[in-house]
Amino acid sequence: MSKLHLEHGWLSMNKAGEQLCGDHVETVNREDSVIMVLADGLGSGVKASILSTLTSKILATMLAGDMTVEDCVETIALTLPVCSVRQVAYCTFTILRVDKYTGEVYLVQFDNPDLILLRQGKIYDYPKEKREIAGKTIYETRLMGYIGDMFIMMSDGAIHAGVGTVLNFGWQQPEIAEYAQRVWTPDLSAKSMAAKISDACRELYMDIPGDDTTVAALRIRKRQQVNLMIGPPTDPAQDEEIMGDFFALEGKTIVCGGTTSTVVGRYLGKAVCPTLDFFDPDIPPVATIQGVDLCTEGVITLGRVVALATQCLSNQIGEPTWLTAKDGASLIARLLFEEATNVNFYVGRAMNPAHQNPDLPLNLNLKLRLVEELARCLTDMEKTVSVRYY
Amino acid sequence: MNISVCIGSSCHLRGSYDIIQKLKELIARDKLEEKVNLNAAFCLGQCTHGCTIRIDEEIVTGVTPDNIEGIFQKALAERG
Repeated sequence: MSKLHLEHGWLSMNKAGEQLCGDHVETVNREDSVIMVLADGLGSGVKASILSTLTSKILATMLAGDMTVEDCVETIALTLPVCSVRQVAYCTFTILRVDKYTGEVYLVQFDNPDLILLRQGKIYDYPKEKREIAGKTIYETRLMGYIGDMFIMMSDGAIHAGVGTVLNFGWQQPEIAEYAQRVWTPDLSAKSMAAKISDACRELYMDIPGDDTTVAALRIRKRQQVNLMIGPPTDPAQDEEIMGDFFALEGKTIVCGGTTSTVVGRYLGKAVCPTLDFFDPDIPPVATIQGVDLCTEGVITLGRVVALATQCLSNQIGEPTWLTAKDGASLIARLLFEEATNVNFYVGRAMNPAHQNPDLPLNLNLKLRLVEELARCLTDMEKTVSVRYY
Repeated sequence: MNISVCIGSSCHLRGSYDIIQKLKELIARDKLEEKVNLNAAFCLGQCTHGCTIRIDEEIVTGVTPDNIEGIFQKALAERG
């Protein structure tokens, strides 16, 4: 398994009134590297969308096939459709490639706002080398990436936020970099960083974006494992063995479900102490067990987590409420979506008699389905997921 | 007097949130904070019998937001 975990995420806001986004982010996750391309097509709407989709797809696919950047840029110059109004084929792009084993970073920028690099939370000035390829002036950078580096790319919609309304000249790149530096925390995920900047842009635009605005981020981080148990074993004789395996795992632990918590409490010899605080009337309160990082109710909470995950994957919603909310589902979301790079599920198949009642929207299948769904969402977030049934 | 309201999945769907709110109101209204200790409990193992609460060591099942006041007053009277 590679040493570095490259976590990435992005968000797009469409120009007010447009159904399509003229920016496109394409990510290729290879065994040895991650390639992320942000492209911004000329104009807005369908034309821009086609230009940026083509550009980012071509660049990412060719680079993933180990072609040189010269070949990639030439291909784009020769193949992009020419705009009938403006008589040019134009699409700006930023390419970021990070090696998972060595940490080598290769960056190519063409006419997008400069990529921001935060190193341990501080703005880091990196060298840029000017080159001409196929009549385009591009800037190349090669450097070493380290754990704690955060790379932030954006389309020009970000720096134009607020132009002529709340700001005279928009939000300049150095100001965005300052902002990113201010909101940075060691635990902030790439996706949340993109969301924070994107939300700030939305505010400057006063909710009416004057241009497609996209922010993409990539963070180099250490691997972090989180383990989630839901459901007790079908055969109580297995309790000891399953619990032993689960608590031997490295990383944080989450226990979901009343019966499961009771079994865990018994195994650890600690009391299960439920709290009375409903931070959200729809989500039952959490409990505490010494030795367990988080203990919640089961299917209702997990159902909400799945909904949050789906929302998170849409890349259209800014800073999510679960980053700060205190209900059980938000707490799980934070551990799984933000902190974890690897997730292990331990799923018990024991029947809960209450769930057999036809009046209730609960059953064993629901629990298994929720876990499957969540595992799929987490895989889409590019986390390594394993599920063990017992 | 200790009252624990089950907040497991099944009880939650049958109204334990409202029952807790109701109990909080009753306790506040009659200023019983010194006398009654309200808690949550994870699954009390009575999932098939409707929402469940525990008053000291006694398990009461089939509790609803409508009948909780009666159950509460009766328990208070019995325990003086």
